[in-house]
Amino acid sequence: MDISLQINGKSERLSVEPGVTLLDALRERLDVTGPKKGCDRGQCGACTVHVGGRPVLACLTLAATVREPVTTVEGLASGDDLHPVQQAFVDQDALQCGFCTSGQIMSAVAAVEQDVPDVREFMSGNLCRCSAYPNIVAAVDQVRGADASV
Amino acid sequence: MRPFELTAPETVDAALASPGTFLAGGTTLVDLMKLDVLTPERVLDINTLPLQGIDTTDGLRIGALERMSDVAAHPGTYPVISRALLLSASQQLRNMASIGGNLMQRTRCGYFRDVSVPCNRREPGSGCPALTGANRMHAVLGTSESCVATHASDLAVALVALDARVRLVGSDGERTVALADFYRMPADTPEVETDLRQGELISEVLVPRLDWASRSTYVKVRDRQSYEFALCSAAVALDVQDSRIVDARVAAGGVATVPWRLPSVEQALRGAPPTQETFEAAAALATEGARPLSGNGFKAPLLRRTIIRALREVTEEDRA
Amino acid sequence: MTARLDSPLKVTGRARYGSDHNPPGMVFGYVVLSTVAHGEVTAMDVTAVRDAPGVLAVYTPFESLELHTPHNPIMGATWVPLQDTDVAYRGQPIGFVVAETFEQARDAASLVEVSYRERTPLTSLEDGLAAAEDAPPSMDGSPHTVTVLASGVESIEDALAASPVVVEATYTTAPQNHAAMEPHSAVAVWESGTLTVYSGNQGSDLQAASLAQALAEPLSAVHAVNPFVGGAFGGKGATSVPAFLAAAAARDLGRPVKAALTREQVFTATGTRAATVQRLALGAEKDGTLVALRHDSWSSTPMSRAFIEQTSHSTSREWYTTPNMVISQKMVPLNIPPTTFMRAPGEAPGSFALESAIDELAVELGMDPIELRRRNSSLAPPGKDLQWSSKHLDECFGIGAERFGWSQRSEGGRVDGDWLVGLGTATAMFPALRFPASVRVTLNADDTAEVATSGADPGTGLLSVLSLIGADSLDIAPERVTPRLGDSALPSGGMSGGSTATASAGSAIMVAAPEVIDELLTLAAAPGAPFEGAEVSYADGRVLATDGRSLTFGEVLRAVDRSSIAAVGSSAPGEEMSKHSFSSFGAQFCEVRVHRWTREVRVSRMLGVFDAGRIINEQPARSQLMGGMIWGVSAALHEGMEIEADGRLANGDFASYLIPVNADIPDVDVQFVQYPDTLHNPVGARGVGEIGIVGVAAAIANAVFNATGTRVRNIPIAIEDLLDE
Repeated sequence: MDISLQINGKSERLSVEPGVTLLDALRERLDVTGPKKGCDRGQCGACTVHVGGRPVLACLTLAATVREPVTTVEGLASGDDLHPVQQAFVDQDALQCGFCTSGQIMSAVAAVEQDVPDVREFMSGNLCRCSAYPNIVAAVDQVRGADASV
Repeated sequence: MRPFELTAPETVDAALASPGTFLAGGTTLVDLMKLDVLTPERVLDINTLPLQGIDTTDGLRIGALERMSDVAAHPGTYPVISRALLLSASQQLRNMASIGGNLMQRTRCGYFRDVSVPCNRREPGSGCPALTGANRMHAVLGTSESCVATHASDLAVALVALDARVRLVGSDGERTVALADFYRMPADTPEVETDLRQGELISEVLVPRLDWASRSTYVKVRDRQSYEFALCSAAVALDVQDSRIVDARVAAGGVATVPWRLPSVEQALRGAPPTQETFEAAAALATEGARPLSGNGFKAPLLRRTIIRALREVTEEDRA
Repeated sequence: MTARLDSPLKVTGRARYGSDHNPPGMVFGYVVLSTVAHGEVTAMDVTAVRDAPGVLAVYTPFESLELHTPHNPIMGATWVPLQDTDVAYRGQPIGFVVAETFEQARDAASLVEVSYRERTPLTSLEDGLAAAEDAPPSMDGSPHTVTVLASGVESIEDALAASPVVVEATYTTAPQNHAAMEPHSAVAVWESGTLTVYSGNQGSDLQAASLAQALAEPLSAVHAVNPFVGGAFGGKGATSVPAFLAAAAARDLGRPVKAALTREQVFTATGTRAATVQRLALGAEKDGTLVALRHDSWSSTPMSRAFIEQTSHSTSREWYTTPNMVISQKMVPLNIPPTTFMRAPGEAPGSFALESAIDELAVELGMDPIELRRRNSSLAPPGKDLQWSSKHLDECFGIGAERFGWSQRSEGGRVDGDWLVGLGTATAMFPALRFPASVRVTLNADDTAEVATSGADPGTGLLSVLSLIGADSLDIAPERVTPRLGDSALPSGGMSGGSTATASAGSAIMVAAPEVIDELLTLAAAPGAPFEGAEVSYADGRVLATDGRSLTFGEVLRAVDRSSIAAVGSSAPGEEMSKHSFSSFGAQFCEVRVHRWTREVRVSRMLGVFDAGRIINEQPARSQLMGGMIWGVSAALHEGMEIEADGRLANGDFASYLIPVNADIPDVDVQFVQYPDTLHNPVGARGVGEIGIVGVAAAIANAVFNATGTRVRNIPIAIEDLLDE
């Protein structure tokens, strides 16, 4: 079926089978490979993207059912300027292998935007086998601290 | 995944008129279709149907397509409901999953999810490997020789405790059913999980007003702190006046084949003082009829302890 | 301190991992696994598969892709799929379906009908103990059983019988999967007779060699590229099944092929850590002096017997001074997925047993467990003359005890509301090793330098280390050094494993840099060059003459019309091994909270103090150690493969094979005592990738005992282990 998607501000038209997930549409049809396939079952969070501004799992979302704009990790930075959350991940060494990082960052952006009461709990839908968890929390705190001080 | 047709009906009537499997958040359906556990030929994307809204004017009315995260964040939601939601899944999944879909989610039994092995729920009559296999996560209450799979929803446990009802719409009209009656224990037809008839759709969830449920909580015990299904859980609401428990609601999850209301525990609490002795005596009644399997005998004591913990938590101030 | 150099690429999604490559014309492969654990595939009906939309090829043992078993010095033989019909475990690759799209390949693969001649599988370590076999010699060549007895002592049994205080217990550890976030995957492209493979692996040159052998192609025809690896932990040391299949199918079909294991498939079709059973007996004087130690270990192994988890050899052999010691290692071949190296192989499960037993001995003696460890700290491994090159374990414990508030610990723990709180500690050790490695150091005419090796950075920070040691060795700022890795066309960096990469590559840089500087100086003073005939030296990125003139190395190169000069340096373990024993050391501290009613164990504080030689880049080193410690939490409380009697893995996905989530992990305090160990290698670094996990599970179990009075001798520790009714 023919579908159209808004990906990082860009309109994309695609012809896909109904069963194609948003994740596979992004990665295998549109070469948007920031979102990762860590489990394909909604059990790891590596594919987290924003749809309509909210973090969702692209692996459990059928591409043909997406009606709102999609933002992936590639859509956060403006030019060479990293998004503050991306910069905080660099500063706090909030990654090691980096495979889960795209998804972590999309959740962390939401954690900052929603000013969540419990960062650890909120970030628990993103597994990190390298176990950068404390540094990920520090990265979110870095951005929230900067916001608070403005 | 098997080939299927996907359409997006624009009205409830249109959705009910065309046979197919309803898709809301997709967190169960897409997952199980990828595993070939569910193989619908037609899928109806119902996300644009007008089944939204949260109304708290008299009790609580939740449109079936409201997302878990929005319901959890709604200020008019009872603590036991919002806690049950916030302890479910992950924030991403809660942004996706609908309330109706949450109530319709399928068991997490590993044999149900694996088409290379038998499962009576998936393929009636094929057998149940969980009876002798890896059954630590399985149920001890409401089980049968054909199925011992737990019901996975936390929300349903909280709702059953609060006497919630679901409104069902079908091409023949609509009806409301108590959620406690909506779910079916497996008996010898584990493939029949709910009272939902072919073509019917959950349109909304109705929770009767219960002011004292402002004193309520949901305790979920699991092997890791978050992003996991319950080993055991307890939904508790207590009406305490003048150091007496006037009324109580108690239900359990993670231990039973359906959300498990515990009337005998509630009865033992009514009229008693909110003390440790009361809690222990009441909780002892929770596991009557429990039938442990080879790997989950601990769930009976754990359920009693989980109820005690939940009761302690909602009465912390009274006991202090 | 330098931030991880590849972080900007990783936080923007621009770092392309293996399966992120999408060359034109690419098709997709999907692996088919066995659904029985033991037997023979008698037939595979693929008629429906061939008829399915988009299917290009179906490969089975009956219509196979030809692959030969490759060997390498570190991994030994690597199994290649589809070459025979034997099934040795459930979840073994037995087929490969290639189609135009991922969905078509996946959906067609589900239509394969397999017939088996089944045999009864052996899957239980416990049931197999009676039929255990002696393990082959350990990595250092020691026999399965090592006996050290003081003169006049007849047997370890006599030594134990003569000990005033004895503790004896059996410990078990669960099998585990590396569960790197990146599933094993590959994209294979053949172009003009040359294969390029993009596939996360711990050593691109080893991977290229293994693919060349498997495909019977010359090494020059295979190019392995993996600058980004989505986690490895030992599980990507061998070339993976999708890499072999994608490469062979791409050659067969003349199209690029992408293949990735599903998460479920990763659990059986790659490698795992063995399950272990360990029996410990410790005999001591009343003052805590160890007089006898016996550590018998049984590890599960696949039917191929290809890898044995050596727990007693990796711990009790070396950790404590004792006049009498017997260690043994047996193996129990089972119809289970392959076992392989996994973060601190041997040390991680071994330390759970040994360090729990030491804690039990401390309880028996009524002695502080740190004091007991101090009293028995070794100057050299028992029965060996070679002393530790640089050991500061007591200092680690001293600093740790102070920072962690160890003196506040009370017997029986403390109570905080409905939580029981306990503290535990354990020793960590991991041998300091080096593997052979070569690095090329290049000076460019634009005054930049390049440091290049084929080795991998699967999150370890090697890329930044190359830059820092390169800059140090060339006496220039790190910003001017471009590090390169993860490409088999670069000088052979060998395996990123065994906590060796920094010491191995770093030592090679320290060989290559002086060589390239020598060449620069020769060029600078050559006839017609700017410093013709002068005596020259090098400092600060400049060539200096005795008359005070100086030019940057770029200026010199430009003056002699060279765009660059390069030297390759190599390093390998050398004669240091005959002079000293080498190990890193650490003191682990954990605080746990156990709920009084529902008995969940949660770790609330952690501290590790490490003596790992010189730390090259503190932030990533700290992250590595922290990650290792959290792996210890996972081993202690969460992860374990549950293999059923028929060989089926009951929890082969991320919803049921639990690794910690963010909410499980408290702040983790990592401290270093820094004593550069230049007796081991010129860099003075001993590696930090593995020691972080060692001892943590024991520290947690010891803390649980402190909090609850219950000694749990199996990991992961579950709620039911602590329920007493």
